[in-house]
Amino acid sequence: MTTLVFLLEEPSAKDALEGVLPKIIPRDVRVEYLLFEGKQDLEKRMARKIRGWLDKHSLFVVLRDQDNGDCQVIKQRLMERCGEGGRPETLVRIACRELESWFVGDWQAVGEAFNLPNLHKQSAKAIYRNPDKLGSSVTELRKFIPTYQKRDGARRIGHHLDVERNRSRSFQVFVQGLNRLLAEQGAA
Amino acid sequence: MRIESIRLKNFRTFQDVTMRDIPRLCILIGANGTGKSTLFSVFGFLRDAMTTNVTAALGRLGGSRGFQEVRSRGCTGPIEIELKIRADLGRKGANLITYGLSIDEQNGRPVVAREILKYRRGSKGQPWHFLNFSYGSGEAVTNELESVKDENDLVREAQTLKNPDILAIKGLAQFERFPAVMALGDLIENWHLSDFHISRARPEQEAGYAEHLSREGENLSLVIEYLFKQHRPVFDTIVEKLKDRVPGITSVEAKPTEEGRVLLKFQDGAFEDPILARFVSDGTIKMLAYLTLLYDPKPHPLLCVEEPENQLYPTLLWDLAEEFRTYAMRGEQVFVSTHSPDFLNAANLDEVFWLAKEQGFTKIIRAKDDKQVAAYMAEGDKMGYLWKEGLFRGVNLR
Repeated sequence: MTTLVFLLEEPSAKDALEGVLPKIIPRDVRVEYLLFEGKQDLEKRMARKIRGWLDKHSLFVVLRDQDNGDCQVIKQRLMERCGEGGRPETLVRIACRELESWFVGDWQAVGEAFNLPNLHKQSAKAIYRNPDKLGSSVTELRKFIPTYQKRDGARRIGHHLDVERNRSRSFQVFVQGLNRLLAEQGAA
Repeated sequence: MRIESIRLKNFRTFQDVTMRDIPRLCILIGANGTGKSTLFSVFGFLRDAMTTNVTAALGRLGGSRGFQEVRSRGCTGPIEIELKIRADLGRKGANLITYGLSIDEQNGRPVVAREILKYRRGSKGQPWHFLNFSYGSGEAVTNELESVKDENDLVREAQTLKNPDILAIKGLAQFERFPAVMALGDLIENWHLSDFHISRARPEQEAGYAEHLSREGENLSLVIEYLFKQHRPVFDTIVEKLKDRVPGITSVEAKPTEEGRVLLKFQDGAFEDPILARFVSDGTIKMLAYLTLLYDPKPHPLLCVEEPENQLYPTLLWDLAEEFRTYAMRGEQVFVSTHSPDFLNAANLDEVFWLAKEQGFTKIIRAKDDKQVAAYMAEGDKMGYLWKEGLFRGVNLR
């Protein structure tokens, strides 16, 4: 049985994945989460965590926000850490610019999560056509949900996300990468 | 309403301290004895001074030698407190109200050496002085009304208070009509300190009535009963949240017994019989208490919380921090003192202040002002993580 191990920079990413992963991966794939305390902590400790992981049937996925960094540089650095951990095939994905872009990419899901049925209309707006380009998607969410909080929001929205309709490019790339990773291992 | 800045002089360990740009959610960290609770005691002191007088308020804080005990050690000047409050007084934009209090000793008795209240109407211009008192007498405006458009139209009257240890905002009846004083009074009177003690909250109360959770939480079952009867949607929200946080809990019931006591019963989905409150875990009771506090239908203008992390599973603390922030964003303000890195990991850079002692007195440092901390946060670190790494300089020193 395959296990997917997610290395994440903060708990809200786990909350979102717990909701959406059942729509992406087969049911017989086990999922584990390793939570770090921010980006520095993730980079510093990930290689050792990967190297020391006992279950050899595991596949690793590193997911972090881009924030202000350069996507390619970040990815390169994280790949190197995976190499140091002895698992260079590890999937590294960056949410641009932050995880919440995946939510802005699917206003219908946000609307369902917060019981704001009219919110899906926002998806017609030009600025939301490419949510990965937004400076801060949390700020965008707060325009409609003033008290929006990261964990609470991720937990509510995660299981409403639709894999097909999401407009976030980084979300789509994440889904494709995950499918490929599992296919290569003959699990999907 | 929001406290924007606090300036303290000669108040216990705060010999000369200013907190500026205080956010809606303000998280205070610092070693034991650096003055986190003392900061909260400033609000308690103001409330006592307003409901009684300065002498009694000092007595409550410092015993029989009140003034001497409350004044910073080795200092000679008056005790000074200055609050700047941003309040919506029903006009365009929020007004900045400044309230200043200076307390000295005269012939061995505490007196109000100076008390001022001023605020700006609108965003420009000099602030208008509404009250300016010292040693029991001074001037106060008598016609602060919507119709007054120019400061020169204000009518000021010389007045004398019954006693020089009484606050003019309390002693002068005409102020009750003034929005700025009402806002200040509401803050001072209705701020709330939560210092939850599990052992106090556990025993079921005698039948009674309570709308707000008390400081130590001993009326928890009464408040739950009140919410159950009067605010069902709030009660349902609390139960929903509790179910999310505490594995196994599927419902909570507040039940008056024949003797008139109120029993809280927790249903665990796996078992048929509910568990009585006295047998559920400390963490469950504590989480229930915080949810009751935070989903209060009539929130406090200022909520101060001491170390909310005790008894709670670390992964719950991020959610708790989010809930404090939501409470604050709904229009109020929350001050939290904590020793928990997990709680702090959920904090934004501008929400954290740390208290450190230097030569016997406390200074308060805003995390945002520390360039190194700010730089790491911009790179995606977390506050609790940076704290553990020792980057909050001075905070671990005694």
